[in-house]
Amino acid sequence: MSWSLNETEALARKAARGGGMDWGLAEETGKAVRWLCTAGWPGAEALAELLPAQDGVKWEAVRPRTDTDPWTARDGILCPSAAGAALTDRAQDFAEGRTIAMAATARPLLLVPYTAWAADLAGRPLSIRWPGVTVTCGGEGTHADMPDPAALTVARTDTLEIAPASETTGQPVARHPRCDLPADTVRTLTAFARRTYAPGTPESRATGAGAGLTDND
Amino acid sequence: MKLARLGAFHQTRLSFMRQLLRRMKADKWQFEERVFDIDSKGVGHAVYVAHAPGHSYSLIAFSHDLPADQRSDRVIATAWDATFTLFDGIPDEADIARLAENVPKQEAGRISGRELTLSRANRSVRIWDYVVDRLAAGKQPDARKTAEVGYLMRTTAVYGSGKFGGADRDALADRPEFQAPFQVEMLSVYLIRAFVMDLVEHIARMRAPDRALALDPVLRRRFGIGNSTGLGMAPFLITHPALLNNWIAAREEALRRVRALPEATHQTRAAFRQTAARALIHALGWRSEHPGQQAKLEDLRADMQALTEHLATADMAAPYPWDRLWRWGEATLSLEGQEQLVSLLLEPHGDLVDDLCDTMSADEEENWRIDGAMPLARLRAIVEDVYGWALAIDWSAQSSQARIWYTSEEKLEPRMGERFDEPLSPYEQPLGPGRDAALMHAALAASDAPTVAEFLLKHPEHRNSARRAQIAARLPYAEIRDNTLDAAVMPIDMLRMKLSFFGACHFDPRSDRWVRINMYQNAPFPDELAREAADDWTLPRLPEAGE
Repeated sequence: MSWSLNETEALARKAARGGGMDWGLAEETGKAVRWLCTAGWPGAEALAELLPAQDGVKWEAVRPRTDTDPWTARDGILCPSAAGAALTDRAQDFAEGRTIAMAATARPLLLVPYTAWAADLAGRPLSIRWPGVTVTCGGEGTHADMPDPAALTVARTDTLEIAPASETTGQPVARHPRCDLPADTVRTLTAFARRTYAPGTPESRATGAGAGLTDND
Repeated sequence: MKLARLGAFHQTRLSFMRQLLRRMKADKWQFEERVFDIDSKGVGHAVYVAHAPGHSYSLIAFSHDLPADQRSDRVIATAWDATFTLFDGIPDEADIARLAENVPKQEAGRISGRELTLSRANRSVRIWDYVVDRLAAGKQPDARKTAEVGYLMRTTAVYGSGKFGGADRDALADRPEFQAPFQVEMLSVYLIRAFVMDLVEHIARMRAPDRALALDPVLRRRFGIGNSTGLGMAPFLITHPALLNNWIAAREEALRRVRALPEATHQTRAAFRQTAARALIHALGWRSEHPGQQAKLEDLRADMQALTEHLATADMAAPYPWDRLWRWGEATLSLEGQEQLVSLLLEPHGDLVDDLCDTMSADEEENWRIDGAMPLARLRAIVEDVYGWALAIDWSAQSSQARIWYTSEEKLEPRMGERFDEPLSPYEQPLGPGRDAALMHAALAASDAPTVAEFLLKHPEHRNSARRAQIAARLPYAEIRDNTLDAAVMPIDMLRMKLSFFGACHFDPRSDRWVRINMYQNAPFPDELAREAADDWTLPRLPEAGE
């Protein structure tokens, strides 16, 4: 079914929150999914795969340890929303020419938007690379070099690198005004989003929206 | 940026309804009633087309025969007297058939990227049948009786920005007519008003083809379109900090420019006096059953009387007369009166302030990225500056966070509950920026991280607050400087502020959480716009002018 980008972002944000992320991370995850949909890539599907896989995990287990090279997660596999947030927060490092490498990372596709945002913040093109995929962001828009298209949607990669890009490789990525979400993706994300909704109670029905005067006159 | 002041805002010439009408007039929009296929019971559909330069937009109205027991104009309703969508272009039969299957279902239906808004309206039980009966009997309705309500139908939600599958705002980015905020929503409501007036006359005519009258044009203009607005609108102001900033900044800059004028021309002085007199009539005709609003209306009426008396003796030939008048108002008037005075001061100064309309949009995307390299001490200083009011609150007192914002599973709508009486905490929405800033402030004090990036790596729970604080440091009006969780918070203050920017009048709170308004009252109808003034309708005209 055809979805607007706005409602896709809203669904992804709520699902990420329902999946246990703090609000600030959930907001960025929603924007990341929107960015990927605009690129025509299956961002919502990636999130729908990620959330069940890391359901119930603690932040400390999946956030990056940034004092190691490559970045690693305490419990083995990095959450792309956590790694992405840490990445954009360190955009200044890229401006100074640094490269960031990551060890095992879940759903690397979800990291691409954060790379684009870091490129904007750093004011120079960056490329994100994992086996089979190189995406260059910033400068002349987004370009993708994918000798193995299936690599875009891998569940995890064991090596990943984000670095200042000296040249643009691959094909320009067209922008899409809307997205088509598979029904099972919507079902999964909706189920996670539902966790953010409070079940109805007699009190909430009576007063949650404000009872007050009649509304039928 | 206190709620009590925001909750006293009035429409101004910067308001979005007025921007739309000025643009439609200046760009010579053409309007066309293309389809009106509605039976004697009021069932059928109509299509009203607005032709802007370069694009046409069609209001598709579905009119229904709603059993009386299903009529509720709250967002929680499931059936309505009329449902609408604003279509991008001119619909063909297949579009109408598709939309007839979806638009009447509202939230339970699905629209496409061709549709810009989705909305609905109910008849006013108080006067709809009365007006039909009178017209069918060959008589005009009584102006006093219709003035008690001021509209024949009330809308509720007007969904835009991609909701329920509609077009994203981004998709309209290249349309000059939609650069200002909420223009698709305002256009929808403008066309809905025209449809509703045609519908009431049509039904009277179907009932008594030989006898029925059309509404007297003067009386017809006095009907606006009602709206009931609930809590859903309040979180928007918190989740769109850059937009909020730009709205308030435009208003503040407009006031600053007027106050900076060294002198007032005879023309602007005369125009100001006339607008002030009209504002008094407006205040006298504004009705509400809400005790809080009744008290504010008493203040406003007294304030407008005081302004009239002051103007009789004030020396408007002295230097900086508008600044002096503003200072007098600040010292003399209630918040209602002060905010009305802001609106009045802008009114005769269109040449000076109308360009600010172009600054009232915002791209939130440009502002939401966190500056991770910011030293932690700097973030702490920002929090102390922007949220000093929140740091002074005793958050351990139950009353300071008695309220909790959540989304209900049953209606998927924002709600406000009692934190200490209901099991809602796991579902709390991040809509208490002051409380959250105070929590972050405590964590900042205990952290040895050198930068925001290092702090947030350990404290992801403060990511939202860190972002807000950095935005508020750049944009001075991005944050409401008041406690949205307090036991005494009145969400209607937030609703009124937003609705005043739309251009709404006659705020009539129906509880602390929802409010009724009137939109486009006295505005020229589409077929009148070419020959009438586009921007001289918001306040009622003076009787002595024979108007």
